[in-house]
Amino acid sequence: MSQHNRVISKEEEALYDRQIRLWGMEAQSRLRNCSILFVGVKTVTLEACKNLVLGGIGRLSIYDPQPITKLDLETQYYFNESHIGQPKDKVLAEKLAVLNPLVDISAVSSLDDIAGVDLVVSIGRQTMGEWRRKGVKSILADAFGLFGYIFVDCLDSHEYIEEGRVKDPKTGESEVVRSSKVATYKSFEESVKAKVAGGNALRLARKYSPLVFVCQALATMDERVQADSKLAVSQFIKDSLEQRELPQGFVGDELLERVQASWGTEFVPSAAVVGGTLAQEVLKIITLKDMPANNWFTYDGLVSEGIACTL
Amino acid sequence: MRTTEQLTRIFGQEAATRVSTARLLVVGAGGIGCELLKDLSMSGFQHIEAVDLDTIDLSNLNRQFLFQRRHIKRPKSEVAIQAIRDFNPGIDAHARQANIKEPTFDVDWFSQFDLVLNALDNLEARRHVNTVCLAAHVPLIESGTAGYLGQVTVIKGGETECFECHPKPVERKTFPICTIRSTPSAPIHCIVWAKNYLFAQLFGERQDDEDMTAEEDAENMEELKQLREESTALAKLAEAMGSPEFARVVFEKVFSSDIARLLSMADMWKHRQPPTQLDYDELESAALDSDFDPMSPGTHSAMSLTDAFALFKYTAARLAQRLDSDEQGTRGSISFDKDDEDALNFVAATASLRSYVFGIDQTSIFETKAMAGNIIPAIATTNAVVAGMMVTQAIMVVSEQMSRCHTAYVSYNSKRSRSVLSEPLALPNPVCAVCRRRYLTLRVADLSRTTLGDVVDYLHMLAETENNLYLGEDISVVEGSRILYDLDFEDNMEKSMEELGLWRGRMITVAREDLDDVESVAGTVPVVLSIAGPRVEDASQPLDLDIEGFELIPEFAPLPPPTPDEAVPNGDQLHFADDDVAVVVDDSDGDEGLATLHHVKVDNISDELAKRKLSDIGVRGESSIKRRAVATDDEATISE
Repeated sequence: MSQHNRVISKEEEALYDRQIRLWGMEAQSRLRNCSILFVGVKTVTLEACKNLVLGGIGRLSIYDPQPITKLDLETQYYFNESHIGQPKDKVLAEKLAVLNPLVDISAVSSLDDIAGVDLVVSIGRQTMGEWRRKGVKSILADAFGLFGYIFVDCLDSHEYIEEGRVKDPKTGESEVVRSSKVATYKSFEESVKAKVAGGNALRLARKYSPLVFVCQALATMDERVQADSKLAVSQFIKDSLEQRELPQGFVGDELLERVQASWGTEFVPSAAVVGGTLAQEVLKIITLKDMPANNWFTYDGLVSEGIACTL
Repeated sequence: MRTTEQLTRIFGQEAATRVSTARLLVVGAGGIGCELLKDLSMSGFQHIEAVDLDTIDLSNLNRQFLFQRRHIKRPKSEVAIQAIRDFNPGIDAHARQANIKEPTFDVDWFSQFDLVLNALDNLEARRHVNTVCLAAHVPLIESGTAGYLGQVTVIKGGETECFECHPKPVERKTFPICTIRSTPSAPIHCIVWAKNYLFAQLFGERQDDEDMTAEEDAENMEELKQLREESTALAKLAEAMGSPEFARVVFEKVFSSDIARLLSMADMWKHRQPPTQLDYDELESAALDSDFDPMSPGTHSAMSLTDAFALFKYTAARLAQRLDSDEQGTRGSISFDKDDEDALNFVAATASLRSYVFGIDQTSIFETKAMAGNIIPAIATTNAVVAGMMVTQAIMVVSEQMSRCHTAYVSYNSKRSRSVLSEPLALPNPVCAVCRRRYLTLRVADLSRTTLGDVVDYLHMLAETENNLYLGEDISVVEGSRILYDLDFEDNMEKSMEELGLWRGRMITVAREDLDDVESVAGTVPVVLSIAGPRVEDASQPLDLDIEGFELIPEFAPLPPPTPDEAVPNGDQLHFADDDVAVVVDDSDGDEGLATLHHVKVDNISDELAKRKLSDIGVRGESSIKRRAVATDDEATISE
């Protein structure tokens, strides 16, 4: 793993008792020794970082020099009026430190030096190519209004342990069997260009949620379009979907309208679901337990649907 | 105050207004509760009351993020509400450190809320809140998490399934008494013995002899008699607590002479490995040579026989010392708490010794703690996801968009593509014993003056004058498992409600007994009267007696006809409103019944009443009633 090689202390055992009983000492130890970088502070960043800090990761670095705005205060609960104008990463780091003094948390001033970082999580901004080139696993995620998505890139070979229960037919007792597996992940560029097997909407719907294509489009949208009007965003999505050559009506108008209403907004409950799921994926990547989503997860908070697929 | 522009953009002005004026009750301020309170207060909800009995513990801090180390031992509700006030100055949020089952939280109290949200960790409280919400006609959002799994659902009386429409599988397995006391074969049997028998008898609340009116058969009659004698003898030993010989006499009884008694029953060991007695003196001298430190036993490895002995001696002495003992023999008591190191280590040590006696695998203190304390592993992420889903549904409920509500699950299986999934809310079970009821409020000005007879007369009068009561002359009045009144039983007519223990917050069920003559469907649905004080507006001139709430009763469908050979549930445990008694339906194979795990007061419940209740929930056919006294500890949360 990375820089530290700390052993779980008695104090940590007591603090983390309830989660050690779920994922075991070894996993907790890996968490203890990892280093994660978050790029971009939105409500979902607060959520995911809160969960990871509580879980006892070794080191958390945050990068987002943007000043806190009044609109941020609506949903980013760690910020209040006195913080308006201050850099997001610095204030968030201070607030998170209170949650768990055992975690090393800091705001970083540049993304150039990421030595020792085990995983980079980009929120709402696309920097994916960079990380792959540097050989670092990365995640791209965002939560807007009722929706959210997570894209995972664990590079060409991610080794993990899968635990299953096997029942002995003679004794009837089941025992835990651990098997070592390897998964391969696509790069973000590959994923957005991936050809989707043709066929009718029904067959496609069995493999993919329509939302994943919308989220892919949004993930590729550059900052100029993002800052532009809702109409421009809407048009961009429609153009992207057309390029994908999806069957007519696969992505319904109703969904597009709802996405449009949610785009550019934040809603804490959905950010909590996406942030929670995101933190869980990070935990899988770090502890090497179970396969992290390969490679897209999308969430629609109106109907409580969180679906993973491979694109 | 935080603005809510984005909320309005997403949900519309109408919904945003409803959200800001809605009055919410949050029951539980722990794992789900902290996340829930944060989400609610950051989603425009302005009026929130949080109730939780618990105080903060170190092991909470891995997920209950509103709490820090400096808050340990303080009440959860208070610290959580203070935190969300810090996030949202000006919010109308209040905390109560209390048990939601207290009489203060009666139907009137609940009905001040537009929505109740459960963030609980035990079945008993969930059942209670479910019932009161039905009685107060307030919608309820129910939730639960365990490890990576979680679920959320919406309960609205008359429209959806309630919490008790289908029996929940009993999470905590119960064991036959003989397995625990005579023939254990697994570590859990030894742990249950150590905690619920040995620890309870020695250090727990002083009990009368186990009130086991068991239906004994020829085989176990003798055994049960022996066991009762042994329990009595052990309880007597507790009186020796002050003496230095205490540990020895206890040890020699349970690990030597009781075992000798078992060994004498040759039949018992025909097909089982017989137990071995332990020798106190042998172990004592072996312990002297060991460098085991009972003050800090290793928690992750099994103990040797000598170490277990040393830990037993040490903790027995410490626990004995903690209890006061005066000359009359009355003493305090210690109830088992998994975070009480002495209690936990005593249970671990004695369970370990018993495992050696019976040749059963050892467990570490870490593992024992989980089993003895019913620990559910818990993490921040699952709670965060569940709470988030609850709040979206809360917005739908208060803005009258029930059609958008659903049951939602969070799962973990990375092989399946859906980790968050939903399904439509189910309709109520047409024979549910809890929600197929007409909940009305019985207002009594003075419970010490009004008698049961007054209430019965009032019901008779209303039945004649009101079309919407649907009760005839032939009615029964029941509270929990007690029959208060029926045509053949008028003993209580002159007694005041107070005398009968019918206080504010309690509920009495009134049912027609002449069911063959009933024309209206409503007549077949029992009435449940929630006892309350007079309306606030009537305070100066309260009516002696009043029943109200007729307009809130939903429509009920006719009962489906009973199927002649409906199977009797196998070994199911049926909890009634009064948790002091569990009535078990004996399945025809004569398989495992229930074990007595605790000693509790047993109210009288006649077999007749029990059978009627079973019939109420759709159980037909032959059923024999076995009686066991069962109490509930902190229970596990959701079932999968």
